[in-house]
Amino acid sequence: MRAGWTAAFLTPDPAAPVDLRAEAARFCTGAGLAALYGLALGTREGGVSLLRHAVGVPAALVAVAGLAVPALFIALALFDAPLDPPRVVAASARAAASAGLILAGVAPAAALYVVSSNGEGAAIVAGGLGLVLGGVAGVSRLLRELGAGLAGQSEVRRLATGVVFAGFALFATALAARVWWATLPIFGGVS
Amino acid sequence: MSAQVHAARAATAPSLDVLSRLLRDPAGVAQRCREEDNLGQITATALVAITLGAAVFGGVIGSFRGGVQIGYAAIKIPLALLATLALCTPGFHAFSATLGRAFPLRSVVSLSLAAAARAALVLLASAPVLWLMFDLGLDYHQAALAAAFAYGLAGLAALGVLLRGLGAGKGRVLTALGFVALFFAVAGQTSWILRPYLVRPRTESPPFLRAREGGFGDAVLKSGRSSMGIFDEDLTTHEHSWEEDSYEHAPAAPRSPEPRTWPAVRAVPEAAVPAEGAEGAEGAVPAAPAAPAAPAVRAVPAAPERQEGGL
Repeated sequence: MRAGWTAAFLTPDPAAPVDLRAEAARFCTGAGLAALYGLALGTREGGVSLLRHAVGVPAALVAVAGLAVPALFIALALFDAPLDPPRVVAASARAAASAGLILAGVAPAAALYVVSSNGEGAAIVAGGLGLVLGGVAGVSRLLRELGAGLAGQSEVRRLATGVVFAGFALFATALAARVWWATLPIFGGVS
Repeated sequence: MSAQVHAARAATAPSLDVLSRLLRDPAGVAQRCREEDNLGQITATALVAITLGAAVFGGVIGSFRGGVQIGYAAIKIPLALLATLALCTPGFHAFSATLGRAFPLRSVVSLSLAAAARAALVLLASAPVLWLMFDLGLDYHQAALAAAFAYGLAGLAALGVLLRGLGAGKGRVLTALGFVALFFAVAGQTSWILRPYLVRPRTESPPFLRAREGGFGDAVLKSGRSSMGIFDEDLTTHEHSWEEDSYEHAPAAPRSPEPRTWPAVRAVPEAAVPAEGAEGAEGAVPAAPAAPAAPAVRAVPAAPERQEGGL
């Protein structure tokens, strides 16, 4: 089977050295794809709301990558986890790519619900479900990528890593929810 | 030059061979989709099968009421299916890619179409059976159940192609579940927007589309609450506006030569009617099983329903 653009976007050659410029481009593409989901949510009100949602959805990816991932790296470093910063950056970019792809993929379905539902509740639930899916895809991809580099640790370190990962997942979820809650008009954020 | 044009046309023309393979060899078709082998022919054949199969099935669903509803349903069911596929395919692509199957988009498109085509062929096969059942006197609820059963069979047939198309390996079931969940969510809303499909024979002038009211999610929520005995206060007004703008029920005229002696409809207070929600669900059942709950006072048939109109 021929590898398409998506394959190269999501799963670059793991043996290749990390190219920070390529990873930055991957992160930006992921954020751009997430913005498509924002546009879909903005179709309910239209106008400026399109722009606000298009900015608000990827804002959470930026917040998690900028605030939560460095904290995760520090916490893992405390347990002497064998991770170097470029690898963490690459893992973040790939996580953003996964989240963005899922969000862009479900954007047409979200737009259908957001535009055609009379009740605010249905639109909010539909919009929120897509964000949850994207968030789960992103966080699980990040932890999978980082976890793969931590194989062969002692039992104690593995347990500590697990606790740190769980804490990160919780923090990233709360942070993303806070950002979306504050910025997306569909959830009563800035309007 | 003309030979090249001829070859290009042949590569994208619908083919009976592909149609046969869709039924007999779903694994082979799925593999061809994955390997991007002759996708033009697969997609063209699938589009024809979807349109034809769903239109015939829709016509049979519409024949429950008869008349203009046959045409309406024959147009709307393929439309709902194709619109659903169009809205779902990007999501299918994203799900499969993030769960370890980064197929090219064109493979996912052709696989989705092939699966839907197989489902449409099953609907086509079940159409005459359904028609006969309608003709033998199925009532509205039984007709809805029979249609839902046909949809279930078609869904299983489609799932066969989909699972084979995803191939073996980790994440296969999760990807398939993601596909099914997304498909149902989108199909539910699309069908909700395009309803009614199955209309009672006594309905005098069925609309092509109902007035916009709630949504699939709202209906599922309300029906769920109603089934637990919790009735929303706004249901009364909701139902009232619905009947005002959509339906004119003709007095039921007996289909048989002998006139009936019972009154065609009678008013029943809310408390006396079990709120199953299906009374208000005309047309929603085949494609969107959930429906709004019962109005405060509504008309219920006082006699066997399948007496007039129809086939």
